This record gives sequence, C-alpha cells and structure tokens, in this order.
Amino acid sequence: MSVASMATTHTAKTSAQDSAGLLVLDDLSKRFPTPEGTVVAVDHVSLSVKQGEFFSVIGPSGCGKSTLFNVIGGLISEYEGNVTVAGERITGPHPSVGMVFQEESTFPWRTVIENVSFPLEIEGMPKAKRYEKARHFIHMVGLDGFENRYPSELSGGMRQRVSLARTLASEPKILLMDEPFAALDEQTRLLLGDKVLQIQEELKQTTMLITHNITEAVQLSDRIMVMTYRPGKVKRVVDINLPRPRTSEIVGSDAFGHYVAQIWTDLREEASRGLTEDEGRRVTRATR
Amino acid sequence: MAETGRLRQAAITSPLLSPVTLVRLAIIAGVLVLWETIAASGWLYRDVVPSLLAIGRAIIALLSSPEYYWHLGVTAGEIGAALTIGGLSGLLVGLVLGGSRFMGKAFEPYLYYLGPTPKIIFFPIMIMWFGVGPASKVALGTMSCFFPIALSVAAGMRQIDPVLIRVGRSFRLKQWQMAWKIYLPAMRHPIINGVRLGLGVALIGTLLAETKLSNRGIGFLIIQAYSLFDMPRMYAMLIVLFILSIGANALIGRLGGLDSIKRL
Ligand SMILES: Nc1ncnc2c1ncn2[C@@H]1O[C@H](COP(=O)(O)OP(=O)(O)O)[C@@H](O)[C@H]1O
Ligand SMILES: [Mg+2]
Repeated sequence: MSVASMATTHTAKTSAQDSAGLLVLDDLSKRFPTPEGTVVAVDHVSLSVKQGEFFSVIGPSGCGKSTLFNVIGGLISEYEGNVTVAGERITGPHPSVGMVFQEESTFPWRTVIENVSFPLEIEGMPKAKRYEKARHFIHMVGLDGFENRYPSELSGGMRQRVSLARTLASEPKILLMDEPFAALDEQTRLLLGDKVLQIQEELKQTTMLITHNITEAVQLSDRIMVMTYRPGKVKRVVDINLPRPRTSEIVGSDAFGHYVAQIWTDLREEASRGLTEDEGRRVTRATR
Repeated sequence: MAETGRLRQAAITSPLLSPVTLVRLAIIAGVLVLWETIAASGWLYRDVVPSLLAIGRAIIALLSSPEYYWHLGVTAGEIGAALTIGGLSGLLVGLVLGGSRFMGKAFEPYLYYLGPTPKIIFFPIMIMWFGVGPASKVALGTMSCFFPIALSVAAGMRQIDPVLIRVGRSFRLKQWQMAWKIYLPAMRHPIINGVRLGLGVALIGTLLAETKLSNRGIGFLIIQAYSLFDMPRMYAMLIVLFILSIGANALIGRLGGLDSIKRL
C-alpha cells in the first residue's frame, strides 16, 4: 500500500468496515469509575487507519487522547467496542504496535545504543547483530556519535529521539506516539518533525500521532481527527492534501495556513469549553 | 572572568595549595601531638593512652600474626553471611512490600518500629537458639541488616518511574525480564544504599555480639586484649578495624557512585 492511494472521505465518521484499515476502532468507549462518578474519557469513537497512513489525533488537554493511545497500545485492556490491528482484537500489547510515550522514557542506566537495542535484546537477538541494527536506527534519528552516551548527557529532544529509535528498532507495523514532542521548544519540535517525515518516507510505517499542536499535526499528517472535550468524541476528520515529501518549510505556505485555520476553528470551541469547565470546577472547589 | 574562575577552581581542587587540606592535616597533626603529650605525661593511669610508638609496634605485631588473620576471617565470614542472608531476605521482603500496596500498608509499620531497635537486646535469645559459636553472631548481624535493606528496597520500588514499567509492558516483557531488566536496574541506587546501611549495622551487630559472648573473632580479640589490659594491642585492633570498615564502605559506595554520575 502506498501513501498516495489514500482515499479522501469528507465525512466525520469513518466507516469501521473499511477493509483497507490496518488499525480499526469500532465504536470504542472507555469509562473510568471515580469517587466523583464515572468519567467518560473516550465516547463512541470509530475510525480506520490505513496501511502507511500518517494519522493524527488532536484535541485539548484532558479530552481522552492518552486514553485512546493506551487502549490501542494494549495498556488498558478493558474497554467497550472493538479495536483491531490487522483484524485481531487488541486485548494487551500487540507485537505490531510500537509506542512512544509522552513522558521521558529512556532507561537512565543504559547508553543510547543499549536503550535502542533493548527490544532486540528482549527478543534474544545476539549482541553484535542487535547493535548493528540499533546503529541503523540511531542514524535514522540523527544521533550518530552518541551511541555510548547516557541519557543524562543528552538534551530533552535527543532523549525523545532515543525513545523513538528504540520503538522503531522493534519494527512495529503501527507506530503510536503520544505527544512525543510536547515538552520541547518550537524550533526543536519543527526540526524533529522533519526527522519524522524522513523516517516516514523511508519506512512507510503506519503512524498515529497524538498531539495538541496544530502546526505539528498539519505538518506531518495525511488525516487529522479533531476530538471534542469531554466526553472525547470525534468532532471532525480533516484530510490534509499537502504534497509529499514534505519538510518544515511547508509551514509558511498558504495551503498550510488554511488547514491550520480550519482546524483551529474546530479546536477553539473545544479548548475554550475545556478552559471554562476547568475554571468552573476550580471555582466550585474553592467555594466548597 | 572565566579565566579567574578557572584559577580559583584550580586552587580549590589542588591538594597542596588548598586551605581546607591544610586545616585537615593540621587537625590530624594536632590530635597526634596531643595524644603523644598525654601518653608521655603519665597523667593518666598506666597505658590507658599508650604512646604512638607502642601502638605502631602493636599494629605491626598484629598484622604479622597468623592468629589475627584467622580471627579476622571468622568475623569477615560472619558479616558476609549476615549480609548475604539479611540482604537477600531484605531484598525479597522489600520487593513484596514495595510491589503490593496492601502488603506494604499491612507490614511496613512493624519494620519501621523494629528497624531502629538495637538488635543486641535479642542476643541472649540468639545464644539460646544458635549457641555461642558464629551462628548466633550471624543471626544478630542478619537481624541488623535485614531492616534497612528491606525498607530501602520497598521505598525504591515505589519510586520507580511508572513510565519505564509501561515501556516494559509495551515491549511485552515477561515477568522475569521485567524484574531483571527494569525493576532491579531502576532500583540500583536504593539497593546499594540499603546494602551500605546494612553493612554498617551488620558490622556493629556482629562485633557487639562477639564482645559479649564468644571464643573467636575480632570482637573477642578486642575484649580479650582489654581484659588482659594490653592497651596498645587493643588500639591497634581498633585502628585496623576502623580502616577496614571505611574501605568496605567506600567499595560499596563506589559501586553505586560510579554510575550515579551518569544518571540524571
Ligand atoms: N486511570 C484513570 N482513572 C480515572 N480517570 C482517568 C484515568 N485516566 C484518565 N482519566 C480521565 O480521563 C480524561 C482523559 O484523560 P487523558 O486521556 O489523559 O486526556 P489527554 O491525554 O487528552 O490529556 C481526563 O478527564 C482524565 O482525568
Ligand atoms: Mg495525554
């Protein structure tokens, strides 16, 4: 499957029966029981991500993005509805799915190459072979020469690249990323975006990126799903018809600005709802 | 500006020029002079403060006596056994208490209260159970080091960054791989700290037990020298023991310290 064969549906609801979908969410809901009542984190979400597609999920903080990420990654095994990867229902971490976490997640006691070769070590690959393979992915994320450094000797952006390389080394069919660059400054984020685009060109892996950054989403994606704020529903799915291969230079183009504005219109309603609800909660808590 | 900073830095780190080092050396010299003065003055009862020369000779005599090494071996063996038994059981108990909220809540208060109790009060019981030989010393040493190790392992387990565990789960690690490749390395600092604390108290527990009731070991030799009023020999043994325990502590600290530099 090639990236160019992307179908362009303009409906907000993607057909879950789409046979081309590698990752399919069919009417997924996730509720958390809490002492204050049930929180509906993800509410009846259906979508289908095709092979090789770069799909982003965008929404305000607290709308259920990480919950979605954890369900697809198999770290939350109890959910309503159905999530399948290549037709198999997700009940736990799936070998075809690789996760990059929002938090700093490198192993501080391992060097860069020991971190990146970690999934291969778990598979039982001999050291020489897994180091050779790890070097390939270290090169891919642009960390040549840092193989024997410890994470504490690297910048935040470099550490996130180590995490990315480590996940890529396990050669997942689907790469899941939960706000991997959220903690980084804007310039670093744009440049890392370029790296991600290059990697996407090379590996053609299916990617689901979770973000709250519109620029990042438009820069990288084939499609973007905007989520509503609490309960987390699908608000809209937008096709990004920007030419590939892309670089961060596209950020200055008119078409780019048009997409950003369009998504911001959708997102603004949700973000401001989130803001007022948060403030409302804070006020009620304060007056109690 | 940067240049003067570097120069000042050099002055502080240089061992010869540093005022701190000079003061430290002066303190040692002062103590030695004071000691020798008191020893020579004859103010105190005979040999309570022996001359440095006598102590030096006693150290040489001690270090060239095979009998001393035999006793040192006994004590080292007792401490080693205590640290192994107490350390492994402490690690195990710490993992259980740290891994389960329920177990932690149910049992940890006991550890907190028993931990700081001087274990020597249990020595008579240990003698009844294990006899006057090395076994009762090992038992006391084990009791001493079990608590700090169990508590620091339990605390260390709770401090593990949860995202590292999620990384392990996402790579589908098996239980033993989780323990071996994530939990233990993530806890290496609290574990080494626990072992350091454990070594200290195991040393105290074992030696104290030897001085109370025994027929071998360093504690026994020290108390024997004391009852024979062989003060130079007693001081010699204390000094050697002091240096050995500093060395052991530094060794363990180095194991933990080396990679702590490279950690966050
Ligand atoms: N384990 C949990 N227990 C209870 N509530 C949770 C849990 N995880 C997430 N939530 C709630 O679900 C909502 C969505 O959270 P999350 O998925 O982390 O949002 P996002 O990643 O978009 O910021 C939030 O209101 C959060 O408080
Ligand atoms: Mg999140």
